[in-house]
Amino acid sequence: MTDLAEGPAHAGVRRSLAYWNQEFQRIHSPILRYGFSVVSVAIALGMAFALQRYQFHDVELPLFTVAIAFTTWYAGAGPSVLAIIFSSACFDYFFTEPLYSLDISSSELPYYFIFVAWAAIVASFNAVRRRTEVSLRQARDNLQVEVEQRRHRENEIRKLNQELGKRAAELEATNRELESFTYSVSHDLRAPLRHMVGYSELLQRQASSLLDEKSQRFIQTILDAAKKMGNLIDDLLEFSRIGRAETKKAEVDLEQLVKEVVAEIGQDTKGRDIVWKIGALPVCHGDHSMLRLVVVNLVSNAVKFTSMRRPAEIEIGCVDCDKKEVEVFVRDNGAGFDMQYVNKLFGVFQRLHLPEQFEGTGIGLATVQRIIHRHGGKIRGEGAVDQGATFYFSLPNAQDAAERRANAQ
Amino acid sequence: MTKLARILIVEDDPNDVELTLTALKDYNLANEVVVTRDGQQALDYLYRRGEFNTRSTDNPAVMLLDLKLPKVGGLEVLQQIKSDERLKMIPVVVLTSSHEEKDMMRSYSLGVNAYVVKPVDFHEFVNAVKELGIFWAIVNEPPPGSVKK
Repeated sequence: MTDLAEGPAHAGVRRSLAYWNQEFQRIHSPILRYGFSVVSVAIALGMAFALQRYQFHDVELPLFTVAIAFTTWYAGAGPSVLAIIFSSACFDYFFTEPLYSLDISSSELPYYFIFVAWAAIVASFNAVRRRTEVSLRQARDNLQVEVEQRRHRENEIRKLNQELGKRAAELEATNRELESFTYSVSHDLRAPLRHMVGYSELLQRQASSLLDEKSQRFIQTILDAAKKMGNLIDDLLEFSRIGRAETKKAEVDLEQLVKEVVAEIGQDTKGRDIVWKIGALPVCHGDHSMLRLVVVNLVSNAVKFTSMRRPAEIEIGCVDCDKKEVEVFVRDNGAGFDMQYVNKLFGVFQRLHLPEQFEGTGIGLATVQRIIHRHGGKIRGEGAVDQGATFYFSLPNAQDAAERRANAQ
Repeated sequence: MTKLARILIVEDDPNDVELTLTALKDYNLANEVVVTRDGQQALDYLYRRGEFNTRSTDNPAVMLLDLKLPKVGGLEVLQQIKSDERLKMIPVVVLTSSHEEKDMMRSYSLGVNAYVVKPVDFHEFVNAVKELGIFWAIVNEPPPGSVKK
């Protein structure tokens, strides 16, 4: 109710409720209530005497009943009992034989009882009616308050919705800006790079006989740097594209995907001694090309960081394959990393090795993390220096391969 | 020697023009090349307007089109060509720096014949231009009404 105090509409409701309550409220003070009872019976008595004077007879009973009814209505049950007793006494004393005595003759007794019973019935009807009316009014008041509250809440929701719409529009504008930014990066930054590389190569071709070894090395450095920058820009664009691209989700058989990727990467590692171990992998729900990128990145990382091992061992499998939440891992026996820097693993352009040791731009794991997060999954890495690394990723709604086969049958 | 078809290059960047011409020269494909520097000039050439009103009526055998051009953009040029009965048969190859899927989708939906992203690496660039030149200027049979020497 406290929040209702705000706003002019609520104050108005409160005022009108107070008015209703005041108008129909019983008299509060007990003395006044009982006084009211006595006074109304006295007035009825006076009127009965006055009417009797004008030769109207037998009106005293209805008059007393009216007085009792009024008392019940405005003063409540206790005063109404008093009114019944008081008016019975007055009726007995002034209007039944023997007059001016509280004795009741046996012939008047039924008449007297009927009066008391009648008065009691009127009083109780009145009380019931009043109670009903009070509870009805209360229900109506509650309803009114609730309606007000609901209107208030609706207003609030509308306000929040408007804010949300504004926020969405802002976001959309930012997104558009970002898109045009990446577009410029993609288009305008690459052109000068291409020229740097192109003209350096032309220079190399044209003047190779005139240049000494040092100058040749300088040109080569310019070339390498420009190419590296080209790769960085491409990687960054790819990374930002993954953030913006829509995911087209379908059933993806991870085992088949991994086998394809391993076969593909195996083509480029003909000279290497690599022992592959591929376990049973689940089927999951996701974007095929994005998940493929995850697997390619993790597997090619494993290949890259085991280049000094004879043999290199790369294992791809799944932890607790029979459970609902499965975790796929890619484990190698390569260079590994210091767990101290584990939080840097997935940063953009973060590298834990020197470029002379292992090539790369440092975007691969950032891309992997982004894809896994976009799928609502989790990724983590474990490792130790020179003892290999293991990367775990989980995807929601992954289904065990065996279970799937069982379902298919 | 095999007949060489005319190549129309639409490219605003002088460096890119030079590199493209160098690549074409390396493979003796450069003697029938017309270079226009923006979309307006390219359309003038195709419609034989302004400075090109005296040229022969033949169409180029292939058009290498950059997307980001001053005045009239590459996509507008493409749209214009592909909606014109007399020009729509000219094979158009978009040769651009843009990797953007949006540009690619738009180009293909407008009916582009090929979409090539200029590689940063010069060797790859030369190779790409060479392949394009050989394919479109020598291997491909251009539509009737194209220039062949």
